[in-house]
Amino acid sequence: MGAVTDDEVIRKRLLIDGDGAGDDRRINLLVKSFIKWCNSGSQEEGYSQYQRMLSTLSQCEFSMGKTLLVYDMNLREMENYEKIYKEIECSIAGAHEKIAECKKQILQAKRIRKNRQEYDALAKVIQHHPDRHATLKELESLGKELEHLSHIKESVEDKLELRRKQFHVLLSTIHELQQTLENDEKLSEVEEAQESTMETEPKP
Amino acid sequence: MERAVPHAVPLGQMEVFQALQRLHMTIFSQSVSPCGKFLAAGNNYGQIAVFSLSAALSSEAKEESKKPVVTFQAHDGPVYSMVSTDRHLLSAGDGEVKAWLWAEILKKGCKELWRRQPPYRTSLEVPEINALLLVPKENSLILAGGDCQLHTMDLETGAFTRALRGHTDYIHCLALRERSPEVLSGGEDGAVRLWDLRTAKEVQTIEVYKHEECSRPHNGRWIGCLATDSDWMVCGGGPALTLWHLRSSTPTTVFPVRAPQKRVTFYQDLILSAGQGCCVNQWQLSGELKAQVPGSSPGLLSLSLNQQPAAPECKVLTAAGNSCRVDVFTNLGYRAFSLSF
Repeated sequence: MGAVTDDEVIRKRLLIDGDGAGDDRRINLLVKSFIKWCNSGSQEEGYSQYQRMLSTLSQCEFSMGKTLLVYDMNLREMENYEKIYKEIECSIAGAHEKIAECKKQILQAKRIRKNRQEYDALAKVIQHHPDRHATLKELESLGKELEHLSHIKESVEDKLELRRKQFHVLLSTIHELQQTLENDEKLSEVEEAQESTMETEPKP
Repeated sequence: MERAVPHAVPLGQMEVFQALQRLHMTIFSQSVSPCGKFLAAGNNYGQIAVFSLSAALSSEAKEESKKPVVTFQAHDGPVYSMVSTDRHLLSAGDGEVKAWLWAEILKKGCKELWRRQPPYRTSLEVPEINALLLVPKENSLILAGGDCQLHTMDLETGAFTRALRGHTDYIHCLALRERSPEVLSGGEDGAVRLWDLRTAKEVQTIEVYKHEECSRPHNGRWIGCLATDSDWMVCGGGPALTLWHLRSSTPTTVFPVRAPQKRVTFYQDLILSAGQGCCVNQWQLSGELKAQVPGSSPGLLSLSLNQQPAAPECKVLTAAGNSCRVDVFTNLGYRAFSLSF
């Protein structure tokens, strides 16, 4: 669609003037009118033509001034845009750095959170176990009981030993007495036997 | 604007086969290239596809950018696990680990650089390798899988240095505890074992199913996923997803998710997990669910975070599982798009 209107515009322009458009045409017309004015005859016509030429000239100067101003304006716009562009670049770079900083901070914060959670997990397990002081006290009391009981055991064992030894002595004395009695019996038997043989022998 | 009416084109044998293959595909593993711009995904047919993340994330991405740049047959069996060093892609599945050069991988007809098989006790059946782990300090690779042992392989010489025994059933997952060079392994026997690499001995055993807070006997006792943060560990699978404090071996937080989780990882102050539902769950350490973002596969088996410093514009989370698609999350809040085999 843009191409169509371009063609139309070009055709129209070519139809309207064959010398060029706008300012170019004005300059061409000025040159033609100058030549005409040089060749003109009467004073009045020349004067009016001269006035007309001056006005065309001032128009040309006006449009040139306008174009120059527009050119200046464009240059300054360009500078302005350059400045804004540089500022934006700086701020982008700054934002990048801030993002990198924040990422580092996030990593640090994650590490801290992880450490805290590990601590919590261990703390939970430790809480399940009873308090250390209470356990120590229990251990102490149990130790004392153990000592006490071992003392009792020792004394009971000593008593047992003593009784055993006394019984041993008693039994061994009884044994010896028995032995002696048996020996005495045997001796008396032997003596009786000897007496009976002695009685039977001297008879004949 | 007119749209052409799609007329029914009789599908050829090849296309039917390909469509069926894509329907039954499971993607088990993913790995990001050292430059951060490419993502490799391995599936159950033994193929590895390399996607260009930078092309798919760029502003003029088209449908073709979401397809792989190259796909090749890497293993005879499924590719269960892949890791990347700064020049190689290591893939493992059917008992062997193979290495591919990232610089060559984009060319057609790429050949593996080397393949190694850890010394198995029986030569009759070759157990699968479920997990690979890189230990950058000693430049070695740890493999674990069906034979219940962890094998360490030195990446420079290719020799297998240690075999750590202790598990009674096969091993699902590995994790590296960086401060003290220890490796955690979780397996089917329900125990998470910590191994010290310098002494090659088992340092600690945590039998997860024995703790009442997290055991779920109806799911079993298998440990499907492990992640560690030096002092803390998350594990899940049969038992509920739980956060453990390693030094005291106590479970501190149980995450309330019913489905068994197959993959878990720590990210900043969050824990990301994925498993039998279609969502990627984001948890805070206190046990609260921060977000649940649905993906496009019915179940997820692999999560990968691209944190390579060389490509910060490709910093994405990718998730893949029981389908032929890899979901890409540019912001953890929503699924941006999916790459497809």
